[in-house]
Amino acid sequence: MESLKQQALDYTLGVLPKEESLLFEAQLEKDDDAQMYLVEAQEDCANLSLTANPVTLGNEVRTRVMEYCEPHMDFEPFLNCMEMERLRSSFSPSENRYQGGGLSVDLSDIQVGAIKDNVRTNYDNLLQLLPLLSGKSKAAAGEFSELQKTLRSTPSFNSGIERVLDHDLSSEDPATRSVLRTTLATLPSLSFFSDRLREDQANLADTRRLFYLCRDQLKIMRASFKDLDPDRLVDDEKLRLHGAGLLQTKWWGAEHAYFSSKGQVKCGHFFDGPVTERCVEFAEYDANMYCLANLLAPRSSTGDFHMELMKDAIPGATLAVATAKMSESSFQSMKFITGNISDVSGSFKQDHFLWKLIEDSMVRGHQSDHLGELMEKKVFGANRLGDQVYLWFAWPAIT
Amino acid sequence: MPTIEKDLWYKIRDGDSSAFGELYDGFAGAMFSLSLEILGDRWEAEEVIQDIFAFLWRKPESYAPDKGKFTSWLLVLTRNRSIDRFRSRKRRLDRGESDEILSGREDQNAADGAVEATASDERNYLRQAFAKLPPEQSKVLQLSYFRGLNHEEISKVLELSLGTVKSRIRLGIEKLRHTLSTLRT
Repeated sequence: MESLKQQALDYTLGVLPKEESLLFEAQLEKDDDAQMYLVEAQEDCANLSLTANPVTLGNEVRTRVMEYCEPHMDFEPFLNCMEMERLRSSFSPSENRYQGGGLSVDLSDIQVGAIKDNVRTNYDNLLQLLPLLSGKSKAAAGEFSELQKTLRSTPSFNSGIERVLDHDLSSEDPATRSVLRTTLATLPSLSFFSDRLREDQANLADTRRLFYLCRDQLKIMRASFKDLDPDRLVDDEKLRLHGAGLLQTKWWGAEHAYFSSKGQVKCGHFFDGPVTERCVEFAEYDANMYCLANLLAPRSSTGDFHMELMKDAIPGATLAVATAKMSESSFQSMKFITGNISDVSGSFKQDHFLWKLIEDSMVRGHQSDHLGELMEKKVFGANRLGDQVYLWFAWPAIT
Repeated sequence: MPTIEKDLWYKIRDGDSSAFGELYDGFAGAMFSLSLEILGDRWEAEEVIQDIFAFLWRKPESYAPDKGKFTSWLLVLTRNRSIDRFRSRKRRLDRGESDEILSGREDQNAADGAVEATASDERNYLRQAFAKLPPEQSKVLQLSYFRGLNHEEISKVLELSLGTVKSRIRLGIEKLRHTLSTLRT
C-alpha cells in the first residue's frame, strides 16, 4: 500500500518514470485503491499549491481569458475564396528551407551617418530598457518609478522615427530596406506604449505590451544589421523551433498602435505548433505580422481587427491572416498601397513601404527570384469579401 | 477563495461562459500565485493561466469528475505546466543551476508589491503550517514541488539518500494535511 501511495504521489508530481507511469495509469482503470491514492495525492498537492504567496492578477488578463468564450469569427468564406483556391492548388514549398537572416546588412552599408547613429542609439536604449520591463522587473510588480525614470531620461522613440523618415528613403537597396523594417514594423507601436508609460498613468498591461515589443524590436534589429550585436546574433541563429503560441500570446487581446492609430486585436484560430526554425527567421515572420497589423490599424472601421495563424488551410504552409471591416475609401487606399505602383507620396508612402517589406520577405521566405510569380500564386495578397478586408501571407510550414 | 463546486465544471462543459467567468474570479488568483511562485516571472505566469483557461474552455472533458476534486486537478495542472516552462527556460538559458534552485521562495517574491490584501483563512493557515515545517522537510518540498526536481536530483543537491528524500516529502505533506484536517473539524 505504501508503495502504491508513493507511486500516486510521484505520478502527480510528474517524477514517476515513463514506464511506471504507464503501468500506474493501467492500474488506475481497475484498482479502487490506486484511484483513491491518486485523489489523495492531488489534494495534498493542492494544499501545497495554496502555500504560494498570494498575488493579484490584473483585470486585463480576465478580459483576454473571457475573449475565448466569444464566438469565433467565421473564416470559411475567406478560406474558400478564389485566391485561397489558387494558393492551395499552386503552393509547393521550396526544397531547402529558408533559415532567416537573408535581409541582413552591415551598419556601414547605411549611407546616412545620422541614420546609422540613430539605429545604434535605439538598440542601446532598448537593450537597457528590456530588463526594466521583464516579468521579473519591479514594473511587472506594479512599481513603475525606475522604468519611468529611464524612459524620461531618453528621447522619445518617436523623434527617432521622424528623423529617419525625414530622409528620402525610396531607394530599394538592402540597407535602406533594413532601416525601414527596423523603423516601421515594431517601432511605431513601441514608441506609442513607451510614451504612454512615461506619463503618470503607467499600468501592467502597457508594461507587458512594451516588453514584447521591445524584445521583438531588438531581435528584428539584430536580424537586420549583422554587426549590431554579433554575440547575441549567434544565439538567434541557433536551431530552435519557435511556436505559433509565441505569436498568439502577444497578439491575443492586445492593443496595437501604429503612430496615432489604435486597434484592438482579436484571435481565435491560432494553430498549435512550430512556425519557424530559428530566432532570425522568427524575427522576419514577426516583422511581417507587425506590418500587417500596421496596415490594418488605421483602416479598421470598427477599431478592432483579427490576427490569425492557420496551418491546415494551405497544405505545406502556415497562413498568417489579418482582417478588419473597412470602408470603401479605406479599401481603395489599401488597394493603392498594395498595388504595383512606382510613384507614391504623402501618407501612402510609409504604408507602401510596409507592403514592400512583406514582398521582400516573401521572395526570401519562398526562395524565389520572381515576385510576380508569387503574386500570381497568391502566396500573399489582399482582398475584400463584403465589408471585410483580408491581408495574408503564406510561409513554408515545418514538417 | 470560494469553494469551486463540480457543478461549475458541468456548466463550463455545457458552454456556459458566466460559469467560466465565475471559475476565473474564484480561482485564477490562486493559480496565478502558484505559477508566479514557480516561474518568478509575471508575464510567463500570466501566459500559463491564459493557456490553462483556453485549454479548459476548448477541452473541458480533460477533467474527469469521478477522479478527484476539480480545484485540486486545476492546481496540479497549473503546477505541472509551470514546472514544464521553468525547466524549458532553464535549459534554454543554460543558467548555473545551483544558485537558482536553492534560492528561497521568500526572496523570489520579495519585490512584488501586488500582494493580495486578504487571502482566505485556509490559505493563511496552510502558509503558516508550511512555514512551521522543519527546515529539512520544507526545503525538500520546495525543491520537489516548486522547482520540479525529481528525487535523484534532490538527493544530489542536498546530499541525501533517496529514501530520506522520499520520506521527508511524505512527512511534510502529511503534516500539511493534518493541519488542514484539524482546521476543518
